[in-house]
Amino acid sequence: MDGRKLIQILWPAFVIAGAAEAVFFTVFDPRDLRLYGEPLEASRTAIYSVGFFALWLVAAASSALTIFFQRTAAEINRCPIPDARDRPVGCPRRADGGTCS
Amino acid sequence: MNDVNKAAVPSRKPVEVAEQALYEIRKKIYPRAVTGKFASLRWLFVWLTQIVFYGFPWLVWNDRQAVLFDLAARKFYIFGLVFWPQDIVYLTALLIISAYSLFLFTAVAGRVWCGYACPQTVYTEMFLWIEHRVEGDRTARMRLDKEANGTRKIRLKLTKHALWIALALWTGFTFVGYFTPIKPLFQDVVNFSAGGWATFWILFYGFATYGNAGWMREQVCKYMCPYARFQGVMFDPDTLIITYDTQRGEPRGSRNRSADYRAKGLGDCVDCGICVQVCPTGIDIRDGLQYECIGCGACIDGCNQVMAKMGYPKGLIRYSTENALRTQMNSQQIARRAARPRILVYSGILMAVVVIAMVTLYHRIPVKVDVIRDRANTLRGMDEPVVENVYRLQIMNTDELPRQITIRVSGLEGMTIESEAQPLEIRGATNRVVPVRVKVQRAGVEPGSHRIDFTVEARESAPGSQAEPIVIHEKASFVLH
Repeated sequence: MDGRKLIQILWPAFVIAGAAEAVFFTVFDPRDLRLYGEPLEASRTAIYSVGFFALWLVAAASSALTIFFQRTAAEINRCPIPDARDRPVGCPRRADGGTCS
Repeated sequence: MNDVNKAAVPSRKPVEVAEQALYEIRKKIYPRAVTGKFASLRWLFVWLTQIVFYGFPWLVWNDRQAVLFDLAARKFYIFGLVFWPQDIVYLTALLIISAYSLFLFTAVAGRVWCGYACPQTVYTEMFLWIEHRVEGDRTARMRLDKEANGTRKIRLKLTKHALWIALALWTGFTFVGYFTPIKPLFQDVVNFSAGGWATFWILFYGFATYGNAGWMREQVCKYMCPYARFQGVMFDPDTLIITYDTQRGEPRGSRNRSADYRAKGLGDCVDCGICVQVCPTGIDIRDGLQYECIGCGACIDGCNQVMAKMGYPKGLIRYSTENALRTQMNSQQIARRAARPRILVYSGILMAVVVIAMVTLYHRIPVKVDVIRDRANTLRGMDEPVVENVYRLQIMNTDELPRQITIRVSGLEGMTIESEAQPLEIRGATNRVVPVRVKVQRAGVEPGSHRIDFTVEARESAPGSQAEPIVIHEKASFVLH
């Protein structure tokens, strides 16, 4: 995976996680949350922080799926073609000479 | 800072430094420093916003930090106001106000937010200033980057990055200081005893500042900013934008200052390339309005200096509107077009939300009560003649006056209430959870759920206070099996 795709996954997820964090923790007090029925031991700051990264992870998973599903049919069908020049016109990997992985 | 004047024959060929940037192959941009009306205006905004940002956490109000978003205590202090999670409607109002202000400014004068007040612009400006002090002007910086690594280059680069990191860390510290009391935090940081999460967020925000303002710069605006993508929908042909006057400028071309350029069929543009060199996003404004343009006005300042040197009138690149350029309007006519329906609607909604928010804030009742019935305790005493329900009353004193609280209950015949000795004292800007037992004789009450009402009366504790007590009614249910 190239850096560009990585940031396309992480950056929008970061923005959404920030918004979701604000909404979620405005409504719920970390002290009222329970983990498998047990009250959380950690400080509010710790729960906010861990919560943010959890939300970021969830949002990033969604972005990653978006990127994954963006591959065209041509790419999926014909990507095992090792020589990039033989790939169909419009395939984003046609020019770069890389493999499909 | 008078770079533009120094460069009589500026080189039009920027050094080709292609770096594999995060988004795409990016040619590194070396913005030339510029002086002029809009550069001064931007510096004014850098000062204003940063005095507020770096200064506010240190202000003291009623013996506490004046502006503190105390996440650990779930209370936001803004001078005399204290906000609780229940006050989220004010946060919503603030967001609506911010959004409509942005719409309004954009519709009137394009991306003024981006050009002058956006943190990305402001910090880039500050980081560029450091870069300029350390590495020199644009040409010097380009030469330095082309040089092989030597002692001088390494020394300059180290100095620049050290200064950048110092500023970034201070920014990160200040940011965290908005969410956790800054004075104890400062002590902790100095003694290397700050908590793990505080340290983490200082470094995180510091790193983001360093990365965004030092390295990413215009890429943040071009690829990461949602506003840059949708600001176009707020534009119309009467929106002020930074434009190049094609009619006046073309055909562009270099010329001798003494030559009669009009006789040679040339326009006013001397094609010096200054407008491109000063542009922080590296575009050519002469190609027309582009989404990369952050509306900073650097090209206007740059071009005006060249025009002055050539003895031509200023404003070849200027703030104007699409309609004004087409029909040759003067500035009064442009100003008159500002009162168009879109602007009036945006202003109307903005004013309405501001007024409503202010009025509700002014009339905000400074005491809030939440009643939570303690379910675990409702079944007590199945066979006893007296039935008891237990409640927890969360009483919030949202402003800074201490108050005395009396709790009464009504709704069922012969109800009695037991709690700690009343009146209860509740300090300013605090909340208190008060457990209350409500009892009623079983005889004469149907089994099931009954609605009851708690009446909470809050009286200012200050002796001699003439203020009317605040009376709050909160309903609850009383369960009898």
